[in-house]
Amino acid sequence: MLAALAAEKTRPVLWHMSTGLEVLWYFLAVASVLVFAYGVARPVAKYRRGRAIWLPPRSELWPRFKDGTKTLFAHSSIARRDPLAGWAHRGTFYGFLVLFIGTVILAIDTDVVHRIFGASYFKGNFYLVYSIVLDVMGLALVGGLAILMVRRGILRPRKLDYARPDREPGEEQYDRRVYRVGDWVFLGVLITIALTGYLLEGVRVAEDNPGYNAWSPIGWVFAQLYDALGIGQSGLSDIRHGIWWFHGLLAITFVAAIPFTKAVHMLTSYAGLVLKDPLAGKRLRPIPPELASEPAGYATIADFSIGHLLQLDACTKCGRCHEVCPANATGRPLSPRDVVLELREQANASMEDVGIGGVLGTLMHGSNGGSDRPVIGEHAVHVDTLWSCMQCNACVEICPVGIEQAPIINQLRRHLIEEGELDSNLQSTLQVIHKSGNSFGENRRRRGRWTEELDFDVKDARTEPVELLWFVGDYASFDPRSQQVTRALAEILHGAGVDFGILFDAERNAGNDVRRVGEEGLFEALAEHNVAQLQECEFSRILTSDPHSLNTLRNEYPDYGGDWEVVHHTSLLLELIDAGRLDIDGRLSYRVTYHDPCYLGRHNGGYDAPREVLRRLGCTLVEMPRNRDNSFCCGAGGGRIWIPDTPGAERPSENRIREAVSVGPLDLFVVTCPKDVTMFEDAIKTSGHDGDLRLAELTELVQEALVAG
Amino acid sequence: MRIVVPVKQVAVVDEDFELVDGGSAVDPDFLEWSLNEWDEFSVEAALQMGDEVIVVTVGEEEATEGLLACLAKGADRALRIWDPALEGADALAVARVLAAAVGRESPDLVLCGVQSSDAVNSATGIGLAAHLDLPHLAVARAISADGDSLTVERELEGGLIEVVRVGLPALLTVQTGINEPRYANLRAIKQAREKPLEVLDLAGLGLSESDVDAARGSRLRKLAVPEAGEGAEMLQGSPAEVATRIREIVAERLSA
Amino acid sequence: MSGVLVVAEARRGELREVTLELIGAAKGLGQGPLSVAVVDHDPSRFADRLALDGVDAVLAVKTPGEHFEPHVAQSALEGLIAAEQPSLVLLAHSIDSLGFAPAVAARGGLGFASDVTRIWWEDGPVVGRSAYGGKLEAELDFPGRDTVLLLLRGGTFEPAEPGGAAPAWREVAVELREPRSEHVEFREVEAGDVDITKADFLLSVGRGIEDKDNVEQFEELAERLGATLSVSRPLVDAGWVPGARQVGQSGKTVKPKVYLALGISGAVQHLAGMRGADTIIAVNTDPEAPIFSVAHYGAVADLFDVAEQLEQQSG
Repeated sequence: MLAALAAEKTRPVLWHMSTGLEVLWYFLAVASVLVFAYGVARPVAKYRRGRAIWLPPRSELWPRFKDGTKTLFAHSSIARRDPLAGWAHRGTFYGFLVLFIGTVILAIDTDVVHRIFGASYFKGNFYLVYSIVLDVMGLALVGGLAILMVRRGILRPRKLDYARPDREPGEEQYDRRVYRVGDWVFLGVLITIALTGYLLEGVRVAEDNPGYNAWSPIGWVFAQLYDALGIGQSGLSDIRHGIWWFHGLLAITFVAAIPFTKAVHMLTSYAGLVLKDPLAGKRLRPIPPELASEPAGYATIADFSIGHLLQLDACTKCGRCHEVCPANATGRPLSPRDVVLELREQANASMEDVGIGGVLGTLMHGSNGGSDRPVIGEHAVHVDTLWSCMQCNACVEICPVGIEQAPIINQLRRHLIEEGELDSNLQSTLQVIHKSGNSFGENRRRRGRWTEELDFDVKDARTEPVELLWFVGDYASFDPRSQQVTRALAEILHGAGVDFGILFDAERNAGNDVRRVGEEGLFEALAEHNVAQLQECEFSRILTSDPHSLNTLRNEYPDYGGDWEVVHHTSLLLELIDAGRLDIDGRLSYRVTYHDPCYLGRHNGGYDAPREVLRRLGCTLVEMPRNRDNSFCCGAGGGRIWIPDTPGAERPSENRIREAVSVGPLDLFVVTCPKDVTMFEDAIKTSGHDGDLRLAELTELVQEALVAG
Repeated sequence: MRIVVPVKQVAVVDEDFELVDGGSAVDPDFLEWSLNEWDEFSVEAALQMGDEVIVVTVGEEEATEGLLACLAKGADRALRIWDPALEGADALAVARVLAAAVGRESPDLVLCGVQSSDAVNSATGIGLAAHLDLPHLAVARAISADGDSLTVERELEGGLIEVVRVGLPALLTVQTGINEPRYANLRAIKQAREKPLEVLDLAGLGLSESDVDAARGSRLRKLAVPEAGEGAEMLQGSPAEVATRIREIVAERLSA
Repeated sequence: MSGVLVVAEARRGELREVTLELIGAAKGLGQGPLSVAVVDHDPSRFADRLALDGVDAVLAVKTPGEHFEPHVAQSALEGLIAAEQPSLVLLAHSIDSLGFAPAVAARGGLGFASDVTRIWWEDGPVVGRSAYGGKLEAELDFPGRDTVLLLLRGGTFEPAEPGGAAPAWREVAVELREPRSEHVEFREVEAGDVDITKADFLLSVGRGIEDKDNVEQFEELAERLGATLSVSRPLVDAGWVPGARQVGQSGKTVKPKVYLALGISGAVQHLAGMRGADTIIAVNTDPEAPIFSVAHYGAVADLFDVAEQLEQQSG
């Protein structure tokens, strides 16, 4: 309908068409719309089989709609880290949108204004502007599509490699031919529609010679082409009908097929953007009260939230999450994209089980009893795929359409925990955390032992009011290497006269990683305990030197009654430096690189404070290629630090050290997370770079600077 | 198959403990409680083999947690027995009390752990079998059921295995490593409170204090911190220094 | 009630060493006549071995079955106790004894203690044994019990020496019960590639190594040091290492020149398998680890740090 009618319309719409053909045309157009409608009804029915939980309140819908539309029109999420794709898609998107609107304008004029009121606005200056705009935007469409085709066919970026890491070649589900071919067909059909539109315009300009060709420049070019090919007037007449019908049928077929092909992303991705959870991954969802006696997590498609089911369809296979995933990069059988696609296939298969009757039934009556199809299994999502995830949120963060890959994986893990399908080391660790409140199996009484080597007493926040309640965290309290950092921070705070205290024995593991493992019950127990303890204390702010604790204290504890301001030690250090209480300016001159920890950076936006502290110290910061929101996870998160690695495979932390070494000569690899301290101290050695690089935690550098002063 | 699994909540003594009662008991403040490691394996074996699994324990309130974990894993019912008269009961006294509880369930199979990690008597299971007059085998590392009988692999000293057959009903004591105990997630443990958990005292089992006294095998006179022995010569210094010293000792001793 | 009855232990036609330790312990008590019971298909084959200093009598009970059967053994011992009325009955704290001795004590209402490491007399037997998983020592006595049955820990008491007058031999007729289980066969645990009992230098690791894939690292370290790698039970239970490498009561008993234990806490069953080594060096982060009580040299340190240093220094 697009370029076709628009180009044709200067003029009679359905040019020289017999009444019979006109009726046929309208019949087909209506049929196309009906098929489209059914195509939309089917996924709607599919989504309704899910659970109506975690949906945004109605009051948010309008602001979300505005925000989503803004993001879409700016293409900010699509252009991130891939400007070429950004521009190509802008061309395609705006081209298609304008041509689509143009068609609607034309249809309204023809079938409503003209048929009913006998008038027409499709003429004169209006028409001229219309004509040039559509001509140019059609070019944008063709150009955009052409770039996308070159990108896919010639440039072949890794993210467009559809091979899945969780299947072997030869297995029935390994071959992604259906997707690959489908994507090419999509591009091909769309560009054909656009080009045939131009072809048709060219015929019209050549045959009718309307005289204002400046307003149909591309058409004019094609007209010259016909002329050059020696196609005379009679020839033009012959092909005009043919091109018209070809273009028209292709177009309405395309429209009808939208919900059944990749083109559906026009609807579902948009919906994904509108329904996007800004806290996805930062704040995982508690089990809804109405499901308290149900098993936790997603076992079958019927367990999924409506939002998640819709997100499965929003995926366009752009591959950004596939490219950015640290598990994927180190050869693990996980790609967030492939988890989403596998689940989508499971959801679609469950609809097939149900058939057309079921679809209509579900639309009318709501959930049709749910499909029993399990989503985890040998021919579905693999268990070791799910356990490979580090819950670093890189996938969620980069997804242009708001899919929550990591939270969905977390929901599947909740089910695995219900079933007891977990690595035995992880099982022991969870039991140990439950018993002793920390992952080290140390007696709770020893939590404050690290303070004994200080030459001052640390206040007990349980018994005295403090300004800052320092929630220390497991690793910072018990791991010998991290204890050095913890003591350094205590000494700095004490020296700067900061009023702080700790919870000593009453502090338990904050639960961030326990939750990400899927042990929701244990997380609740830990959170409830910590919240109760904190509520007994008097303090203004919570300080933490552990990004994992930071994340859960700040973003998740409010769901459990704990709502306090939580600050990371890097921000506090900067505050103190800015206030002149720490004299460190320009004292060190190291050449350093800085690794953004996932839970401080990506999850909580804490990119700048550490960098500013390094700058004030006088260090020269050389950024690694993957920095800030694109930081590459050390591999400890999501409980992975409690699960043994596959021997022989490259560890994410080693991958990261190699990246650091590649930026040139460096003195230090700076970190601001206790788990990073552990992972990278180890990786520097195991990757053989302990002559090239030394690890330092930011606090240790501040202390060094203070001592030097 | 109905299987009864007697379990024990064991005490782990904290590093800096103190003795009370004139040195005959550890100050309870320094005790941490958890389900006996061997019982994780016997419970798992029961869940895999049985249609109905009942767990029984002799213990105070802290034993409830262990029972809930077993219920969360899939046991059908739990029973906790306690009575002030059971304070300081030894393995044979416990066996006598368990016999009354287990007997009334008429099980097809009773699975016990070989030993408990705190008392390490390795006697309660077989003592229980004697009171119930059940055929019994100790230290099973593998069990397979075949209709009305079991084929059991007993783990003997020095890596030797004995394969033995026994008919049901029977009692076996189960060794660690026989299976992979499943995980009891905390939600399941919470939900397990809905499952039947009975608490009985001696009277509830039809036993009297003198029954328990008659069954007692020993009396605890006193507890003491063990001497350090001849004492290992402790190597001091950094890991590097320790390593150097170790290599010296090794070289010296191997050439001797 | 008087006298001490020692129950000999045999397997596959061999008298087990621990029997001599029981006799040595009984002799040490000096509490009246010492009889040794041999419950076996062919008791006389052990006559020579039992000509030991301190043994006054050997009581032979003939069993119809060739192999140990707990219910038969139980009835044999019950019968012997009824006939002889000893004040003290000693057995080894062994797998077979555990299969029936508690039953005898339970049914007979006897005094009972297992895994006994010390024994003395104060108007009745008093014993010492471990408590709270080895953290403490307990002293037990048996008021009101005329007969006390004890299981003694192997490798703890001095074995009796050959010598003295040949003991009187007596066949005792005891009403034996029908067996309630049936021996099928014996089997060795998978032999594996290595015989750790032959090694001079064993590098032994335990739960402290944390990850399955660290096993390889320690295998390499062992090789570099010229040692053979052995392990404690948990690693075999977890399936990380074949049973042939296990040191302990249910594994192998080893007596190398040097036993270097990294990250092994020293559970009793493990100590039983290696305490005979000439030189024991133990590294563990827990200063209270029981292994330090048998080690000759110890270090409270992180085993990975020490291992790394050993690796570097041997490179």
